[in-house]
Amino acid sequence: MSKKRGIGMACFFYGTGYGNGFPDVSTATVEIHEDGTATVRSGAVDCGQGSSTVLAQIAAAELGVPYTWVTVISADTDTTPDAGTTAATRQTYASGNAVQMACRQARETLFEYTRTLLGVNTIAGLVAREGFIYVKSYPAKQIPYPEAATRARLAGYRLVGQGSFVTHTTAVDRETGQGAPYWPYAFGTQIAEVEVDTETGQVQVLKLVAAHDVGRAVNRQGVEGQIAGGIGQGVGMALLEKVHLQEGRIVNNSFSTYLIPTTMDMPEVEPLIVESHEPTGPFGAKGVGEPATIPTVPAIINAIYNAVGVHITELPVTPEKILAALKEKDGGTKE
Amino acid sequence: MPTIGASPARVDARAKVTGQAVYPADISFPGMIYGQTVRSPYAHARIVSIDTAAALQVPGVLCVLTARDIPGHNGQGVVFQDMPVLARDEVRSVNDVVALVGATTPAAARAGAARVKITYEELPALFDPVAAMQPGAPRVHPARDNIIYHLPIRKGNIEAGFAAAAVVVENTYRTQLLDHAFLQPEAAVARLDERGHLVIYVATQYVHWDRTEVARVLGWNQDRIRIVAPAVGGAFGGREDMTLQALVALLALHTRRPAKMVLSREESFLAHSKRHPMIMRYKTGATREGRLTALEAEIIGDSGAYSSWAPNILRKAAIHATGPYVIPHVKIDAYAVYTNNPFTGAMRGFGATQPPLAYESQMDELAARLGIHPFTIRWLNAFRQGDVTATGQVLESSVGLVDTMVQAARAAGWPLEQLIPGGKGE
Repeated sequence: MSKKRGIGMACFFYGTGYGNGFPDVSTATVEIHEDGTATVRSGAVDCGQGSSTVLAQIAAAELGVPYTWVTVISADTDTTPDAGTTAATRQTYASGNAVQMACRQARETLFEYTRTLLGVNTIAGLVAREGFIYVKSYPAKQIPYPEAATRARLAGYRLVGQGSFVTHTTAVDRETGQGAPYWPYAFGTQIAEVEVDTETGQVQVLKLVAAHDVGRAVNRQGVEGQIAGGIGQGVGMALLEKVHLQEGRIVNNSFSTYLIPTTMDMPEVEPLIVESHEPTGPFGAKGVGEPATIPTVPAIINAIYNAVGVHITELPVTPEKILAALKEKDGGTKE
Repeated sequence: MPTIGASPARVDARAKVTGQAVYPADISFPGMIYGQTVRSPYAHARIVSIDTAAALQVPGVLCVLTARDIPGHNGQGVVFQDMPVLARDEVRSVNDVVALVGATTPAAARAGAARVKITYEELPALFDPVAAMQPGAPRVHPARDNIIYHLPIRKGNIEAGFAAAAVVVENTYRTQLLDHAFLQPEAAVARLDERGHLVIYVATQYVHWDRTEVARVLGWNQDRIRIVAPAVGGAFGGREDMTLQALVALLALHTRRPAKMVLSREESFLAHSKRHPMIMRYKTGATREGRLTALEAEIIGDSGAYSSWAPNILRKAAIHATGPYVIPHVKIDAYAVYTNNPFTGAMRGFGATQPPLAYESQMDELAARLGIHPFTIRWLNAFRQGDVTATGQVLESSVGLVDTMVQAARAAGWPLEQLIPGGKGE
């Protein structure tokens, strides 16, 4: 039997955001229209990871309207405020906070008028959910959101809000590295199962269990998609990918020579979402974008170690490296 | 029906599955022209001369732009503006764009680019970051030391930490140069609108930063520049540095016509940053019970010819070099180094993706040497709420690490009651 199986574990932590005291700011605005729908404006670029969807969910939850009542306008310097870069796993946290702040301001303006309609002495006595505004602990007394918004506007109120959120960090000392450079931190654990062919050196990743502490999953399918995609990039980094240089020149600049994982290389992925609730995050959320890929490589490396007893220290783990390491381990003699 | 925690259809789902989503490559305007770069074939060379006469003879070619056609500052970069838009006297990597051809068709632009005659005098180049760090090594940028950035982290007493260890593991790890391999190669369109403002449609990660960079290159006020990101086909950090933004802007301003550039996959590999290859020397010590006592690490990251995010990335590598573990004695040094290799920059994990190969391999070797399970050694050292990192930061909230360990181990079928010291979870 030349095929040997192994299981490997890897943990990580990851400081999200720009970090190191840099002004990590996101700004957003919102306007509630007279029919109760709302337009959110955020400079955040959705690169495909789903930030516009997450921002719409956060806005809907904070305003108290259905998700389908929110439109997010994004990524246009003429029409949207600066939300910072889509990087550093920061848009759900930083722009999510900015959108939540903007929506809270607009909703509270609406509540200031609505409380007079419902005879409540403070806006703290109102709750908005799924398109209705009702009296806290007395939900029978309620008013549809569109009616409240229309009447508020006729009374001269403008239901707009703006939020600017700054992620708090401090610079590290340049001599000792001491400081509080990032916030919040994401955590996670992945466990890989691999099969190593000791005759060919081929490694097949069979399964990856991926448990990620995201604070709170705003969009569960989005989190699971990030985890699967992160694992895909991790498998590529572990086993396949390398830009080859000759005298500083890239020689494999095409997908026929720079190999990324195909569906046939993808393991079974079991995503597990852990929600530790970050008090400074929007609804407790942190982020998952970059973290999803971080532990995959060492989980695979440790699974190979578990399977055949060799620790590969240089990426990617090609069949040649496996065979050379096995040969060295066996004292230069073939099995 | 709570909105948070649900999975409603993405706001862009319909547009993407029906093929109606608009990417920059889908955008066209009447009278639009096309751009083609001429890149350096050398990692390091002096530009002796640029002869554009033959290129300008190609039917359809409207212009061949070089460094002298840049109205503002010929430099771009997120930290230092050390990357020229169009190289002037010297090329420092094969990524460098030396000339830019504008033509009425993509084919004419390519034909023109093939006829731009550039004479180079090849110069010695640095390809090894360790060699580039040595005193007396030639400088990649005359004004700046090859070591762009160094961060030391010091905690406790490293000698005492190793003296307290029953077992010490030492290894050197190496990660590779990686491409983001996003689905959509670079594409951008620039045009002057009815106000005379410059509008650029581009796949990017940060429209407001792009505006800052383009304004600096053109010498324009920012309010007259509009950057729009239509649908973006993946980024992963590879769209944080400027690639086509300033180039399409220069073409549109020079010809007063809309200008478009769409890179082939082959050129896309040359145009954007890569993941830093890192050399990581690690020494980790633990007690007989498996408690970590000391970690010493030296991390060298190859930034290539331009800095991009190098200081921030090697800072992040250093700060995450311990892994998520309580270690009383720590000595870490991380360096970012210039060479004449293709430039490196942001990529998913931003310097924190390379060290786990080292710190997690070390954990499994320590566990094997001590005869304990990989889960158990991690359990003994894992960050919990209130623990302190190597930089002295107190983890005050939302520290779900051991929960992820338990859930993952359970899903993998591991016998937790045997692996957790004392037999119980927390």
